Amino acid sequence: MKKFLSIALIAVLTLSALAGCGNSSSSSSGSAAATPAASEGGEAPAEKKVAKIAVYAPLTGDHAEYGNSFKVAAEIQAEKWNAAGGAGDYTIEVVSYDDKSNGEEAAAIAEKVVMEKDIMGIIGSYVSGVSMAATPTFQEYGLVNISASASHPDFTKEGDYIFRNNTVISVEGASTVDAVVNNLGAKKIGLLYIKTDWGVSTSTIIENLVAERASEGVSIVAKEECMDGSDDYSVAITNFQAAGCEAIIVVGMHNTFVPFARQYRQLNPEIGLAAFANLYNQQVIDLGGEFVEGTVFPVSYFNESTDPLVAEFRDAFFEKTGTYPSGLAAQAYDAAGMLCEAIANVGADRAAIRDYVQSIKYVGAGGETSFDEMGEAQKVFKKVVIKGGKFELLA
Amino acid sequence: MLLQYILNGLAIGMAYALVAVGYSLVFGILRLINFSHGSIYAFGAHMVFVFVGMNFGVWAGIAASIILTGLLGVAIDKVALKPLRKKNSIPIASLITTIGVSYIIQNLLMVFLGSERKSFPDFMNFGSFMVSGVQLKSSQIVLFSVSFVLLVVLSVVIHKTKIGLAMRAVEQNSRAASLMGIEVNSVISFTFFLGGASAAIAGALMAAYYQLVYPTMGFLLGLKAFAAAVLGGIGVLYGSVVGGLVVGVTESLAMGYLGGTYRDAAAFIILIVILIIKPTGLFGKKGITKV
Repeated sequence: MKKFLSIALIAVLTLSALAGCGNSSSSSSGSAAATPAASEGGEAPAEKKVAKIAVYAPLTGDHAEYGNSFKVAAEIQAEKWNAAGGAGDYTIEVVSYDDKSNGEEAAAIAEKVVMEKDIMGIIGSYVSGVSMAATPTFQEYGLVNISASASHPDFTKEGDYIFRNNTVISVEGASTVDAVVNNLGAKKIGLLYIKTDWGVSTSTIIENLVAERASEGVSIVAKEECMDGSDDYSVAITNFQAAGCEAIIVVGMHNTFVPFARQYRQLNPEIGLAAFANLYNQQVIDLGGEFVEGTVFPVSYFNESTDPLVAEFRDAFFEKTGTYPSGLAAQAYDAAGMLCEAIANVGADRAAIRDYVQSIKYVGAGGETSFDEMGEAQKVFKKVVIKGGKFELLA
Repeated sequence: MLLQYILNGLAIGMAYALVAVGYSLVFGILRLINFSHGSIYAFGAHMVFVFVGMNFGVWAGIAASIILTGLLGVAIDKVALKPLRKKNSIPIASLITTIGVSYIIQNLLMVFLGSERKSFPDFMNFGSFMVSGVQLKSSQIVLFSVSFVLLVVLSVVIHKTKIGLAMRAVEQNSRAASLMGIEVNSVISFTFFLGGASAAIAGALMAAYYQLVYPTMGFLLGLKAFAAAVLGGIGVLYGSVVGGLVVGVTESLAMGYLGGTYRDAAAFIILIVILIIKPTGLFGKKGITKV
């Protein structure tokens, strides 16, 4: 009896597994197969082919909200193009992959994506170090990768298929240092940085930028490292206090910034805080409350702008997620827009898409963007302060 | 500076001690290292978060979480560990089971409450003050003193009450204890309840201290508390307290003098050093069979 049961169970399992395969293969090839079938039937006069844009980003884990915002932003862009009749001869479809903010996962995703012939470009990932595990594959197989958030100086050096729709940290950092000196009026600056590729290189850049302003009496008086997403900053704060810091530049994501700000402001509510564009996220205010008041940082995209292109994206994003988009989401949105525009103009040809993106003059939610020969976006930063639980533009 | 580092470390160390006691209690009775303890701690903190979100108020929320988390401890024993004991399975099976349970709890927290960091009510913060050049946060004082009082209460329960006597009897020889009319199973359940409840309190305190709660919060803390328990001599209550303080202060000093990235390694380096010098831990008794 037991034997019979187990055989029956195995049979059921095998069948269901096979059924599963059948389903998934039919659904994934469904879109491709539909095209010839439809044209034979002649029900639609000009049935569009499908071109896919991929997103690889952390959809789970600590950075999940960024990853998911990239995915939603790309989807909004695709819907916008499809509603307007598609990109040239193509309907745009967005496929997304979860890299869990892990380089190995990202590399595996890259191997898979480059083999999928209908994927025309890829957006992602969130963290520079994770992206850089995947970019060699994109470069080797010739698939355009536009990152909406990478800020490691070496990111675009991988090759001519790798673009960055986010300014390099030296431009952004100059704006941060400027905000600390001119808006916070601080001279003794503390520097807290996370010990990642991005954190270490950014902290060096900030040090150099501050050193350039030595004539104004500005200096870095204490420098502390920490783990990405650590809970305890008591010792770093003790050292900053002892060094008499007037403001701290936090080189980290909001999972570092918010707990640090809370712990510091409990001890010294007057301390000035500054960080980077990745703070432009409603979560920072939700998690940080009164403790993040007065924080200054630079942005290239600002939701409260009167630009209709910003309003269009902002409202569509709000409708889908119930929150307003971050600057990085806007950059992902524009990155998807560039790929759509390229597909509309040159069709589904990966090499031609690369050439198109290289010479693009794209006008989107983040203003006008073009790329230099390295694949670096050229942007202008505005300074923002957190005031009364809201983000406000600084003069 | 040195004094400041030590005081920072003592506050955290007391919370480690509170979690370490949970390891010690269960180890004393069952000779089993309950690796699900870190996740029970995270569960406790999340339950306070959920109850506060349902407008229970902080104190009622903590009380409800203590009871619920204590019951979770009992449930883990009844569902996953008791059947193994009944079948006299090898000790390593129970150990692996607790690791499995730990991941189940952690993943369920992620599924139902999300994996991101959430803001925790800030009920221990009444500002900070300077005492002879050292800056003390009210939350540090609350963390330290509440943990201290609880540890005193726990040791009174174990040394002065009937159920404590029963626990000590089971610890020495469970078969003899059962022949003397002690309900061994209910003593074990009570031990798991105490462990769960103390983890819930530690979870609530630490979440409020950092004002953050997230599903994986118990992983590293659980390992460090385990290190603290072994350091002090696992199965010995005051050993856990000393172990917790040693781990807390060591990591605070490591952060201060070596840099923030050395924090997590410090606890384990000190553990290895002490175990080489004194294999039973600081206050450990000889003749304990380790799992």
